[in-house]
Amino acid sequence: MKRPQAQVAVLQAADAQEDRRIDDVAAEADLKPEAATRAAFELEADGLLAVSEETLEHYELTEEGDRYVRESLPEQDLYEAAIDAGAADAPVQMGQVIGASGLEGGAVDIALSNYARKAYGDIDSGEITANADADPGSDPEMLALEAVADGRVEDADADALDQLARRGLVDLREETVRSIQLTDDGVTALMEGVEAAETVDQLTPELLTSGEWEDVAFTEYNVEADAEDVSHGKEHILRQTANRVKDTLVGMGFSEMEGPHADAQFWINDCLFMPQDHPARTHWDQFALEEPEEIGHLPPDLVERVRSAHKEGVGPDGEGYHSPWTEDIARGMDLRGHTTSLSMRYLSGHQVGELDPPERYFSVEKVYRNDTLDPTHLLEFFQIEGWVMAEDLSVRDLMGTFTEFYEQFGITDLEFKPHYNPYTEPSFELFGTHPETGEVVEVGNSGIFRDEVLTPLGVDCDVMAWGLSLERLLMLMYGFEDIRDVHGTLCDLELLRETEVMR
Amino acid sequence: MPVVDVDPDELRYLTGHDEKDDDELKSDLFDLGLEFEGWTEDDEFQLEFAPDRLDRLSVEGVARSLRYHYGDDRGVEVPNTNSADWTIEVEDQPDERPYVTGAIVRGLDMDEAALESLIQLQEKLHATMGRKRAKGAIGVHDLTMLKGDSATGETGKSITYTSADPDEATFVPLDADAEMTPSEVMASHETGQTYGDLVADFDRVPAIYDAIGLFSFPPVINGRRTEVSVDSRDLFIEMTGTDQWTIDHMCNIVCYALAARGGQVERVDVSYADDAPGEYAGKTLERPDFSVRTKTVTHDRIESILGVSLDSREVIDYAERAGLDATETESDAGVAYEVEVPPYRVDVIHPLDIIDDIGRALGFNSLEPTYPDVSTVGGRHERSRLEDAARDALVGLGFEDLLNFHMINEVENFERMGLPVPGTDEQAADAVGLADPITIQEPYSEDYTILRTWALPSIMMVLESNTHRSYPQDLAEIGLAAGLDDSENTGVAEHRTVAAALARTDASYEDAKARLQALADAFDKDLETPPTTHPSFIDGRAAEVVLDGESVGVIGEIHPKVLVEHDLELPVAAFEFRLDALE
Repeated sequence: MKRPQAQVAVLQAADAQEDRRIDDVAAEADLKPEAATRAAFELEADGLLAVSEETLEHYELTEEGDRYVRESLPEQDLYEAAIDAGAADAPVQMGQVIGASGLEGGAVDIALSNYARKAYGDIDSGEITANADADPGSDPEMLALEAVADGRVEDADADALDQLARRGLVDLREETVRSIQLTDDGVTALMEGVEAAETVDQLTPELLTSGEWEDVAFTEYNVEADAEDVSHGKEHILRQTANRVKDTLVGMGFSEMEGPHADAQFWINDCLFMPQDHPARTHWDQFALEEPEEIGHLPPDLVERVRSAHKEGVGPDGEGYHSPWTEDIARGMDLRGHTTSLSMRYLSGHQVGELDPPERYFSVEKVYRNDTLDPTHLLEFFQIEGWVMAEDLSVRDLMGTFTEFYEQFGITDLEFKPHYNPYTEPSFELFGTHPETGEVVEVGNSGIFRDEVLTPLGVDCDVMAWGLSLERLLMLMYGFEDIRDVHGTLCDLELLRETEVMR
Repeated sequence: MPVVDVDPDELRYLTGHDEKDDDELKSDLFDLGLEFEGWTEDDEFQLEFAPDRLDRLSVEGVARSLRYHYGDDRGVEVPNTNSADWTIEVEDQPDERPYVTGAIVRGLDMDEAALESLIQLQEKLHATMGRKRAKGAIGVHDLTMLKGDSATGETGKSITYTSADPDEATFVPLDADAEMTPSEVMASHETGQTYGDLVADFDRVPAIYDAIGLFSFPPVINGRRTEVSVDSRDLFIEMTGTDQWTIDHMCNIVCYALAARGGQVERVDVSYADDAPGEYAGKTLERPDFSVRTKTVTHDRIESILGVSLDSREVIDYAERAGLDATETESDAGVAYEVEVPPYRVDVIHPLDIIDDIGRALGFNSLEPTYPDVSTVGGRHERSRLEDAARDALVGLGFEDLLNFHMINEVENFERMGLPVPGTDEQAADAVGLADPITIQEPYSEDYTILRTWALPSIMMVLESNTHRSYPQDLAEIGLAAGLDDSENTGVAEHRTVAAALARTDASYEDAKARLQALADAFDKDLETPPTTHPSFIDGRAAEVVLDGESVGVIGEIHPKVLVEHDLELPVAAFEFRLDALE
């Protein structure tokens, strides 16, 4: 049988008849006590050894005790000085005796309190007497101290030991002592012969190439021990969420849109049939640009059709708005407040050419709102935007599509609350049941684009669309309470590092 | 979204449903799209709703909607109106505010609640349709305090909407006890200070006179003489604005609310002088205009939008439950309906809006979802695929991926990076990051005034706010950067930029270059790094990033002055280049 070196040594040092202390075995086998202990436990696990434990008490000198045993107790010094000063015959001034004793500082108090206790003499009114019959030379505490120092605790007086412990001159310690004894299997193994296998810590290229690995045993590690922290690269949690959404949408047949972040109000608002005096079009709600101030070119036919939709409406019974409309305002540049500007560009045929139904498009991109920064609102956030273009879409198709989408994220029992948007009719706010808390939460806004949106764009089938903030989805899924911790330059790296990955 | 305060007792009284408790009312209101937001201090419901049904901006309108919801009322209801006795003469009114409308409501017996509701309706209409009074402003007066000039005959009485010299005309405004001129009101009266801006540029300000004198200074404030109280039984309502349709419909909503309080509506003639500015010169309009608009909706369209089959009796029933009247007719597209829309409905501007009403009456949530049976092939945009591939490579190299704002300010983007403000230093002109920035108009946060021209400043800010976190901090971001560019249609050149920084006690140029090289190799790009100078980097330790022969970025050790500026106590090596170089 081949066994690691340490196990072989321990096995050979063990006895079948009597317990042997592991420390003794280690010393004999020239092993570190820890290595011998580990080997003993390993052998015990294999049934070759029995390991027993007992707890031993033993006294150890403290630093102070150690000094006294090499010199003398302070009260002994005091007694000697008192005898020398003649205090056995008549009281002597204490200051004189202390000066002669060479005691200083705390040792004086120690000497005085123990002097009286041990009846070496009396201390009264600043004078000291010495008891001529006292015998400091055979002071039991000193004898006990010497016994501890010599490892003869059994010789020490028990009361004196207690007193020493109280004086802080000795410590009582407990020690676990492990002993081993060979089991029958261990004896058998030894009789059959045990060889030391070479053990290695690290598997090296040499071991592999030379083939030596076949003859070695590997040191066992404590595989349960904690390893050191390692820093690692990690995709941002919002990017992970975005990718999860993109994967879902691509799987549902949607293609991704791409387009400008800084764009003309025409594409952002006017195509969406937002009247130019709509309260949300003031610069308090969206970021208007100082530079560049306006777009270079807008398709003139489209501009005219959009103007007409605003002013005169679409269709024989369309009324349009009673709001002013000028191309100057439409040309003004903004940071987009929604990615629906991309949908308008795509639907108009000006981004990727004319589209024929059916089509499905999406984007998960940044939008900008001049909002107050708070734990749930940022000036920049990601909008999930999607739309389906087909003949004769109904609100039931809209409901079916969004039910499918949200179920991918565990949000079920979707409810459609009729709502108003200038650009869709019918419009719905979407509410769903939160997967963890069971609360009913708002999860998006949706609708079927109005004729006043689609007709100017040259679309003559139905388009249904919806939007949702990615951050909202993330907060729903992860329970983040303050979105500023993850998005933006105030982000906390620790939080990003600790956040679990999106699955 | 608009919020309206509604007393539940008033609601029970006006709907005639005393048996409804508060919770039932809340639930019924929710079905109508009015969400209970909480209680006011006066124990009223605070209701929030989407800004289409502006006829619900008072308890009277909410009660009307509930009565339709309960089935107590059906179809279009138009209050009776008496013929006109009063005229609003319109002459020399300001060009900037040419339109006026009006109505009289008599026989009211208002209590505090009714008066408060009227005031609230006025305020809410100002905030919404009235565009903060710019487009339309409402004045309500105690009719008995007005003395009409005899204008159109023996019995007729009139007031005049005209203009006045802001420094000469005088009246005692509400909440004041001395005569003031419009200029004084704008300068020192609280309401004048709030709304004075609307007419501050006018040579002559809007003014309404009766036989006694000036009694209203629209859209700013009314005179005290005609102030309405709970004792007022007959009201004169005038509205001025920049659009006749808008003020006429605001007037309709107010008249419907007062009629619901038992008031008798009496028409008013609005007589524009032959030379009056605006579209109606020489015309006399009779207001309020309670005429019913008609729209044609085809049966097919209703069925295709709602996705259900209906028979025409059902359609007509749902329309009536929505407060509309529908009659079946034939059109080119088959069966259709002539649908009448009551005069308070300002949101119905297309047949689709009627289909929405029918859907609401039917109950959208009763519809069974279906997955549309059309097949399309999905896919990612190539730019976003490239961005993802580059991000994966950076993460594989051990970088922590960041997501920063695209908006930043000049100080962070330029100054704290050691860059000169664009245009001030010719030598640095082509340094990475030194583009003319896109600037935001009247920003109200000093932190966000431009779009970033590069991303390293954002990363430096993250390093700065995380000095208490463990190192190494190897950070990277792929995101938007932009600069002015006349050759683009939008005037903006937007690009995705790849930025990375190694912040560690022994960070060096070589560490950064090793990673950049790995990235270049992963995308099969040939990397060269000829020396360059850049104010953000240490001279002699900065290089251009040249990929496949094109200069696309910069790499180097960040300059100590930039590090110290960001409170960093260890070196940072960094690079930034355009994502499209990896295409």
